[in-house]
Amino acid sequence: MNLKPPTHPGPYRLLRVVLVLFGLQLAWLAWLLHKDLADLTRRLWSRTWGTAVRQEDPFYRWLADLSRVIPPESTYLFLDNYEAGKEIEARYHLFPREHLLLLPASPPSLMFHVLKQHQVSYLIRRDGEPPPGPGLQALLDLGAAKPLNLPGTGQVLRVDPQLVSGGFYD
Amino acid sequence: MIEALLLLARLSLGLAGVLGLGYVLVNRLTPSLTRLEQAAAGFGVGTLVITLWMLALSSLELPFTLLLVLAPPVSLASGLYVGQHILGRRRPRKPDTAPPPPPASPPCGLWDWLFISLLAVLFLFVTLRAVMYPMWSWDAIATWGFKAKVFYLRDAVDLGGFEAHNYYPNLVPLLLSYLYLWLGQVNDHVVKLVFPLWGAALLMLLFGMLRRLGLGRTPALGLTTFYALNGVTLITHLFIAYADLAFTYFALGAAGFLYIWLKGGVSARILPLIALFFAGITWSKFEGTPLAASILLAAALTLLWLRPPHLARRLAFLAWPLGGLLLGYLPWRLFALSHGIETGSDHILGFYPQQFLKAIPALVLALINPTLFGILWPTAALAAVLARKKLFTTPVLFLALFLGGNFLAILLAYAVAPTSPFEFHLYLRATLDRLLLHLAPVAALLIGEGLKEHLRLS
Repeated sequence: MNLKPPTHPGPYRLLRVVLVLFGLQLAWLAWLLHKDLADLTRRLWSRTWGTAVRQEDPFYRWLADLSRVIPPESTYLFLDNYEAGKEIEARYHLFPREHLLLLPASPPSLMFHVLKQHQVSYLIRRDGEPPPGPGLQALLDLGAAKPLNLPGTGQVLRVDPQLVSGGFYD
Repeated sequence: MIEALLLLARLSLGLAGVLGLGYVLVNRLTPSLTRLEQAAAGFGVGTLVITLWMLALSSLELPFTLLLVLAPPVSLASGLYVGQHILGRRRPRKPDTAPPPPPASPPCGLWDWLFISLLAVLFLFVTLRAVMYPMWSWDAIATWGFKAKVFYLRDAVDLGGFEAHNYYPNLVPLLLSYLYLWLGQVNDHVVKLVFPLWGAALLMLLFGMLRRLGLGRTPALGLTTFYALNGVTLITHLFIAYADLAFTYFALGAAGFLYIWLKGGVSARILPLIALFFAGITWSKFEGTPLAASILLAAALTLLWLRPPHLARRLAFLAWPLGGLLLGYLPWRLFALSHGIETGSDHILGFYPQQFLKAIPALVLALINPTLFGILWPTAALAAVLARKKLFTTPVLFLALFLGGNFLAILLAYAVAPTSPFEFHLYLRATLDRLLLHLAPVAALLIGEGLKEHLRLS
């Protein structure tokens, strides 16, 4: 790219303006990425990459504990909002366990139907959720779900689908 | 450390398989392309052939093993190579009538080294960012990476028991599954090395096309750097496991080579390769079919408007990309139909004019937002002004029709998107940058035309 002084007014002026703007944009880009760069450098220095990055996430550590409790052939029901983005993490890490999702406020009719239909053996809810919704409360009242002692960022309950009886209405 | 090196070695073998297979096929199809272009195009063609073959294996109810996945495509490439070699001895190859690629440039100067250094820094960053961090971004763990894990663990395209946009095409998940086969495990950070590599292929493709537009090495290299380092959108997609980078790559291959063919920069022998890029578009993302159709429409309208010699013959040549579109679309549709996978209706439910109106300012703001694309789109607008005299008299019209048509298509797509009014702005924020990413390399070609004009006038 020949950037020699022009022989007549105007040549390359536009190109120079674009190049100056591009230079400023590069500085903006460097600013945008500086946190990523700092984190990358820190990880290179401390040799914490790959799985070690995941291990820093308490939710992932809890899921890893769950995967030791829930057998691979089981089905679990995750009570959460899809928008929270946590159930997709659970599904990804707990595969091949069959994954189902319902809203925390699901009514007993829907929840019981899902539990029976899919022979669900475990129910998972995250910390920070409001008190159990009507479906889960009904399940607890029925004695068909019992909390397991697995400390972490959520609660896991063992479900006995045989105890989930029908004959109820909202 | 030794284990990590072994994993990298296994991954490299898997990637070399893709690249080698694609390179041989592209070399046989279009020997007139430079080696750089053949390597860049070969990467995409290799992924296309391997992943479509994996889909065929699942149709035949054969499990994924390295032998079954690799042996037939490699045999095909070898057969093609040997066959053409023997035939080539008996019958001399028809000379390619296309203009030769630009002559080799003198040794690199200061500007060349500056651009190469900027690209080297970018690729060092994105490669480390890709391989050091596991998959974490939404669509990676909800869709693409999740399916890759499922297909690998089930040894098949088996979408039973979950809903993750199951009707989406599977080029990217199957490529990741193929690499997991090489790794012998689901390792979702090492496998992401494929994305910077794909980005490198994209930039090589763009560089080769800019050279074929008539730009010298330094301006072409400068413009490639300009495209790569404008905003964070492309950079982010070089290390997250989304399908948008692959989609962008195939869109550039299809639109860019078709444009150069319209200009007469390559002969009609490029059309089978263009067809494969069209197949890549429709096999990598659900919105591939409308995008591929928009490229075809822009090409047909350009030919009809310009009325070049042998118009009917040139229009008939467009059957190649149309065939490519079907090659990428039909196998998956037939598989989905035969396996009861329903196409989602989450994209079209009705027409919402208020969303159309809201999308217009959002699109304009995204085009000028320096965080998303830097000054790429304003520069493309400037280039369109500079090349305005060529706009209606040369194939530059194709670029304008493609970009303008797709802006309109984006607005229409938002007008039919079934989102609540409260979530619409979030929907825009989550998708608009990606939709523009698919078009951005074609904008770089338009800038190339503007730059050529500017250098000529100066």
